[in-house]
Amino acid sequence: MKSLRLGTPFLLLLPAIVVLLATVALPLALSFYSSLTPFKLTRPETLWVFVGARNYVNAFTDPVFWAAFGRTVLLLTVALNLEMLLGLGLALLMERVTRGQRLLRTLMMFPMMFSPILVGFQFKFMFNDNVGLINNALQSLGITDAAIPWLINGTLAFIAIVTAEVWSSTPVFAILILAGLLAMPREPIEAAKVDGCTPWQSFRYVTWPFIMPFAYIAMTIRSLDVGRAYDIVKIMTDGGPARRTELIWTLVARTAYSDARMGAANAMAYASIALSIVFTVYFFRKLAAARTQIAAEW
Amino acid sequence: MKRAALISAAIGPLLLASGAAPAANLPGSFPGVTIDAKLIGGKEYEPLYARIAEWEKLTGAKVNIISKKNHFELDKEFKSDIAANSIKWCVGSNHTSFAPQYPNLYTDLTKYVPKEELDKFVASNIKASTVNGKLVMLPRAKFDVSALYFLKSNYTDDAKKKAFKEKYGYDLAPPTTWQQVKDQSIFFSNPPNFYGTEFAGKEEAINGRFYEMVVAEGGDYIDAKGKPAFNSEAGVRALQFFVDLYKNKAVPPGTTNYLWDDLGAGFASGTIALDLDWPGWATYFNDPKSSKAAGNVGIVVQPAGSSGKRTGWSGSHGFSVTEACDHKDAAASLVWWLTNDDSQKIEAAAGSLPTRTAVWEWDVAQAASDPYKKEVLSTFQESAKYAFPVPPLAEWIEISNVVYPELQAAILGDKTAKAALDTAADKATKILQDAGKL
Amino acid sequence: MTRNESSRIWGRLAAVAHAVGLGLALLVICLPGVWIVLSSLRPTVEIMAKPPVWIPRQLTLEAYTSMFGAVGQGGVPVWDYFRNSLIISVTSTVIAIAIGMAGGYAFARFRFRGKSAFFLGLMLSRTVPGISLSLPLFIIYARLGIIDTHFALIITYVALNVPFTIWLIDGFFRQVPRDLAEAAQIDGCTRWQAFWQVEFPLAGPGIASAAIFAFMTSWNEFALASQLTRSVNSKTLPVGLLDYTSEFTIDWRGMCALAVVMIAPAFALTFVIQKRLVAGLTFGAVKG
Repeated sequence: MKSLRLGTPFLLLLPAIVVLLATVALPLALSFYSSLTPFKLTRPETLWVFVGARNYVNAFTDPVFWAAFGRTVLLLTVALNLEMLLGLGLALLMERVTRGQRLLRTLMMFPMMFSPILVGFQFKFMFNDNVGLINNALQSLGITDAAIPWLINGTLAFIAIVTAEVWSSTPVFAILILAGLLAMPREPIEAAKVDGCTPWQSFRYVTWPFIMPFAYIAMTIRSLDVGRAYDIVKIMTDGGPARRTELIWTLVARTAYSDARMGAANAMAYASIALSIVFTVYFFRKLAAARTQIAAEW
Repeated sequence: MKRAALISAAIGPLLLASGAAPAANLPGSFPGVTIDAKLIGGKEYEPLYARIAEWEKLTGAKVNIISKKNHFELDKEFKSDIAANSIKWCVGSNHTSFAPQYPNLYTDLTKYVPKEELDKFVASNIKASTVNGKLVMLPRAKFDVSALYFLKSNYTDDAKKKAFKEKYGYDLAPPTTWQQVKDQSIFFSNPPNFYGTEFAGKEEAINGRFYEMVVAEGGDYIDAKGKPAFNSEAGVRALQFFVDLYKNKAVPPGTTNYLWDDLGAGFASGTIALDLDWPGWATYFNDPKSSKAAGNVGIVVQPAGSSGKRTGWSGSHGFSVTEACDHKDAAASLVWWLTNDDSQKIEAAAGSLPTRTAVWEWDVAQAASDPYKKEVLSTFQESAKYAFPVPPLAEWIEISNVVYPELQAAILGDKTAKAALDTAADKATKILQDAGKL
Repeated sequence: MTRNESSRIWGRLAAVAHAVGLGLALLVICLPGVWIVLSSLRPTVEIMAKPPVWIPRQLTLEAYTSMFGAVGQGGVPVWDYFRNSLIISVTSTVIAIAIGMAGGYAFARFRFRGKSAFFLGLMLSRTVPGISLSLPLFIIYARLGIIDTHFALIITYVALNVPFTIWLIDGFFRQVPRDLAEAAQIDGCTRWQAFWQVEFPLAGPGIASAAIFAFMTSWNEFALASQLTRSVNSKTLPVGLLDYTSEFTIDWRGMCALAVVMIAPAFALTFVIQKRLVAGLTFGAVKG
């Protein structure tokens, strides 16, 4: 009986393990090996030359790499926080909706239905300095008469990319936080009201702790899936101009395919994986802590 | 009879073995053969592929298009195939700027296409399709060299003429030198509603534009010893041209993020005075359905740099046959078919430039009744005379990728032209050293 | 003014503020989509016009008719892409849900050694960006000869979605009281029967929301699909978008038309499923 209990979960998880080993672990092992070689796509024989950590040393001593790395961390931090805030706001607005819920909630999730590559094209056209929607609107409304170089100026381009990223991912936060709000028991809020709490107080001390885990879940999901932003940035600026919007993913992708230096690219890719792992584990910890707190209080 | 046998023997044993016909009998007969092909996709390329069915009927072979993507995706795919050692296909789309990257992928077509057929192509196009002495592709009627499109109305306005003459001391007329382009662009600009000119500002595009400008300024991009030499004085002058345009707001501020589609859309919006651009746009620019500039479009041969040489960065699409192909004769016949007179006429009729002498003549004759088309064609015919391809280096794209961020840095004012070019030259040199070329 | 009246006024003000806020938020969310639909219906010269044309002067279905038209006259094999997208997304979602149910059940109902480490490892398998998976996957698939097949994409998307579905379904099963299934077993059901008759129906919303997330991921994925597909045999809609780009041009209007075709089914699905979706996204967040 005991061995059966040990065996059942394993059997149940077996399909997941098999699929992940075959399509993630094995390719990853391959790419790790190639990061130790000067592997060049157009010269497959280079896969058999072993150079040890040279690709890593090259990457880690290259200021271009660190600039891209730093910018990626900044982008993630800014984008995730904004998405969280806006998602929270959106969910609070949605929660109070009494009529037309179905349509409104579907509309709220609208951006999730856009393929990231489409989001990229769309915002590239909107932020075009000459015939783009945004400059046109600003000029027509008389707010400015200049052609604002949205995708050129380093700061503006960063803002443009964050906008695209936030637009496309805020619904993930909103829908999860909304799920949290709807799952919340009514009594504590009622109790807070009776106790004379202001709406802000009851939000801060009752609602917020309850939906925290949901926010962290959204954070975790997003940090697992950040590579998604690559498609957007690739189309909008591809890291340019003059590397002003270079992110680790655009750098890796260009090195890998356009330069065909797959070995070097894979070494850099490991840095991006590490980054993603750090973000994920961090939010996972937070999530666990928030959960325990709720479990204790409710 | 004897002669035919001799030719066959010269052409090679493979042809003999499969019983392929010599020159006169192209496309030949290959019953039961299947040719797998990876072709560039996109609306403008499709009418040509409709002709494949006819080739299948004539030869008894079958064509299986196993991939259809845009060029950059296709390039990625070719590289992946080489890396995975899974080249199981015969015919691939190619481009002169990309061809040197895959030195061993494609076979030498001179072995499979008779010389008298090759002689029907424009000699310079055949030369540009040759890498390390191997004819790796046959060019289709998608030959690209740029000419200068302009808005005619700017040159008929007397007030503008007068003001220009006063300011610059010479008559306002469509430019013949790049210095004039610079003057006029600055003169015409009225941001944010109207700009003097525009240029593609990233990736291989800006590097190509810079490359041709270095040549027009009398410099070398790569010197005779194979070393990057674009940080010479001529190189600095070339880059300074782009820097000055940007600094003087004579180009849209977003230009460093523009690629060809943005340029075309810009000129078609009627807000750009001068646009150095490709032949494929000619029809689009003059069509009221797609362009506000329609009816107002003029075109001149690309201007000359300070050395008196004209710019003329050019490239050509084409088709290649892989070295791994089992039926190279049939594949070569297909490639020939897709680039023969009839095929080129189809593509040329849609507005692109042919690479066969006879089709050029046909094309010019066709345009006789249409003054705009006639002007466009005769201009590009002239432009083609000054055309030159990119240096035939396997590392060309990789070099582009380290050079263009530096060019952008100079254009945007982050660095001086000299400093940017020195950095870029160092990086390019390192790439060539790593490749064992220096 | 009585207290009652003032609170009523405040209540009305709050309702107005809420309506305005919601309206603004939805405007920002929907504007890009509306713009895409509009762009697909307007002639290119109007989309790219400067000065801008705000109110469309003419609407035309040209982009759609030419998209569905013959290849060679601006047609794109939309139906093939649509079929591929549908087959791949639906199949991979179904498989991912099945695997996710098994895995989620294992995590929710069993204790075993290294459980939390294993769980984290499962999640972290998702952190690998597509770009660093694409080439090794390609090499492996090329060796197996499954490039440009539905199967290759299906198995890849299953792997992408499994960690997430396990997590969601695990959370949901944990909320279904253990006693229910145990009671059913006492009543003479086997564990298997108890699962299907008691626990599975209760976990419906969780499964529905996992399914829609998995479906959307597969439906919209581009980076891996662009590497693993090649022709109409397996190219999906996001990859098909690039048919509108060629060396020098982007047919933005055509792209918008295809985008509409791409978004419509996802929209319909979300609309149908959304009630269960919100209910399902609890991840067992409350029950640790």
